Amino acid sequence: MLSPAARRRWRRHAAGYAFTGPALVVLAAFLLYPIGYSVSLSLHDWDGYTPRWGPFVGLENYRALAGDEVFWRATMNSVAFVVVRTPLEVGFGFLLALLLNRRLVVRSLLRTLFFVPVVMSLIVVTIIFQRVFEPNTGLLNTFLRAIGLGAWAHPWLGDPATALGAVIAVSVWKNVGFSLVILLAGLQGLPQDVVEAARVDGANAWQLTLRVITPLMRPILALTALLSIIGGLKVFDLVFIMTRGGPTYSTEVLATMLYREAFELNHMGVASAIAVILVTLVLSIARAQTFVLDEAPEGGKA
Amino acid sequence: MSTATDRRQPHLALRAMSRRKLLRLGVLSVAASPLLPRGGRAAAQTGGAQPAPTKTPTGELKNPAEFKSPRVKASGPTTISFWQYVGFHVDVQKFIAEEYKKRHDPNLSLEITAYPGLNEQRVGVKSALAAQSSTPDIIAIEPGAYAVDVSTSGSVLDFTKVFAEDPEYKRGLWPNALELLTINGAVVSVPAVTNTVIVYYNRGLFQQHGLEVPTTLEDLKKVGAALNAKGIMPIAYPAGQDRNFPIFPYYTYLGGIKADKLMREADLGLKRWTSPELVAGAEFVEMMAKSGLYAKGPLGIKEPDAIQIFATGKSAMFWGGQWMRRSIRAALPPSFDLGIFPFPAVVAGGPRPVLSSVGITLTVNARSKYPDLAFEMIKALTGAWGKIEYTRNLGLSPNGPISADAIAYQMQSLKDPLYPEFLKLQPTGTTRVIFTPAVEEAMTQGMQALITTQKTPKAVMESVEAASQKVGTRRFRTG
Repeated sequence: MLSPAARRRWRRHAAGYAFTGPALVVLAAFLLYPIGYSVSLSLHDWDGYTPRWGPFVGLENYRALAGDEVFWRATMNSVAFVVVRTPLEVGFGFLLALLLNRRLVVRSLLRTLFFVPVVMSLIVVTIIFQRVFEPNTGLLNTFLRAIGLGAWAHPWLGDPATALGAVIAVSVWKNVGFSLVILLAGLQGLPQDVVEAARVDGANAWQLTLRVITPLMRPILALTALLSIIGGLKVFDLVFIMTRGGPTYSTEVLATMLYREAFELNHMGVASAIAVILVTLVLSIARAQTFVLDEAPEGGKA
Repeated sequence: MSTATDRRQPHLALRAMSRRKLLRLGVLSVAASPLLPRGGRAAAQTGGAQPAPTKTPTGELKNPAEFKSPRVKASGPTTISFWQYVGFHVDVQKFIAEEYKKRHDPNLSLEITAYPGLNEQRVGVKSALAAQSSTPDIIAIEPGAYAVDVSTSGSVLDFTKVFAEDPEYKRGLWPNALELLTINGAVVSVPAVTNTVIVYYNRGLFQQHGLEVPTTLEDLKKVGAALNAKGIMPIAYPAGQDRNFPIFPYYTYLGGIKADKLMREADLGLKRWTSPELVAGAEFVEMMAKSGLYAKGPLGIKEPDAIQIFATGKSAMFWGGQWMRRSIRAALPPSFDLGIFPFPAVVAGGPRPVLSSVGITLTVNARSKYPDLAFEMIKALTGAWGKIEYTRNLGLSPNGPISADAIAYQMQSLKDPLYPEFLKLQPTGTTRVIFTPAVEEAMTQGMQALITTQKTPKAVMESVEAASQKVGTRRFRTG
């Protein structure tokens, strides 16, 4: 039996529980349970076919990963994906947003054009770029030959030295429009009185951008960067379709390694360990980012 | 030459084809051969036993094989499920299932789920088997790793009982194809079709430059040099297509020195991957990569790219599979004179290696509620009558020998003069399946390293051997 105070408290919160309950159930069923399941599976050996999991192996799957050269390569590639992609995506997105925030005649057209890659099917994009990068008749090498730079023609996706760069370039091309839209919305929401005051004080365009607009945009830039980082860490489809992680693991990232371990090599325990590591990595970065934002001295809250 | 309509609906375009036109194709003028008797099968294994089509008698030909009645029939309306991964097979599978229903078992229906690709289907099947689901009843599996996985986990039924009850059905399947699907001494799956890996070539380009079809490796190198000198790429090789393509040259070499068995033993952990013959295979891969025979950057080339290179005359040859025949044909201009030849002998006096594969294979879920009906449906799809219908418009080779009459019947609707050529090659095929997933992965990566000249052949085979040893004792063995 509940005490009268508890009953009153329950009545006060009943509506809240009723409204949030369904969402919590969905969250628990489709997020928390799978995460718990993965963590548990990462401590077992299982081939994915037999109805019952194999034996409990403790941290053996993690230990195996720590000694696996391919895992470290995939991790480094994932990091490279983030380190190279995010500045390019956010940087170009910001530059384009600044450009499109001006009164240009073709502004609407340009906005649409830059956003087209975002809404294009990834499969279509990868097929197009496979053709672009094809070493013999591909658009890029044909163009290089046409302008007298035939010596630069290269098997972009077939050479381990250039394959990752080529895939990252496609990723940037595909996603820069998304950053642009967010940043443009941010620019249009800036307090105009501050910008005007800076202008009245004699700030030129460069000073205005660097000293006024950029600091004001910091939360939006951070948000865009966070989304790009998370997108970069969990990239799978683009790599899988374009190169399947090859050649010689040169484009292998954590997500493609996870897939390979789970569904090609039947190491479900190892694959789950990779999943746990990947989730931990993403959550840590997200937390670090929000921490930095929270600590921001001015305009810090997104 | 084929028109767009022909390509879309070859059976319609060809139904009206006159005998004279067929004769012009040059495939029906060969002397009649009898139906392959039992004794003919032994010869079939060693090559060239598939008969040429007979002369077409007047009137429309019919499937000459008997569509046998099943041993077991459904007692009431029953639907069995079938999960497969090759979309363009669905129509013919449906057709055979409908005929089966009409002629033999009106209660039995087949529900086909066609996944967009093998990866998606494998994930779906894996989940269903792990959940101990009785669906699907029939599973299309890929030989090699996938067949081993489902078999050794006890997830599928083998064909021992079926073959014992109907030995004639077993005799209708190529023995070398069944060998690829034999695990722990039992056949776990049967092929619906068979395929070959061969070299397509631009006959017109060869004639224009006075080149002969190469029969030895030295010939091939000379042809390659001559083509390169004229600014034509010799071979379009789509090594970037999937994880299997980079291993093709290796399999080819081992087929050419008849070391398939040695490879299988190494795959089972019984022999070392660093043995001289197996290292020689890797040396061959490296030699081919450095020979200038391939179009530049093969690992960056996928099938559609390679087909485009070949179809536009930028390369004179295309190294690929029979399954690409339709895509290639569709990309070719009307004047293109397409030919095929088996890869040249890799050693003096050796055979010309033709890689074979069994394409889509069918098996029965161990937890199926209707295993007998599922086996009967598989027999309908792959048996004497079914195999002729199955391959009639697909242009893929059947899963076993078919008669000359049957080929003539198929040629009524199949506008492809190369089809009988493929049929002649199939029985000579060598195996190209690795059973151990970790070894296959190491092979794929190793061959990529050889193609990009990142590693030496010896280092590659050492890494494959290391992967093999890491797997330890295999839980499976071949029959």
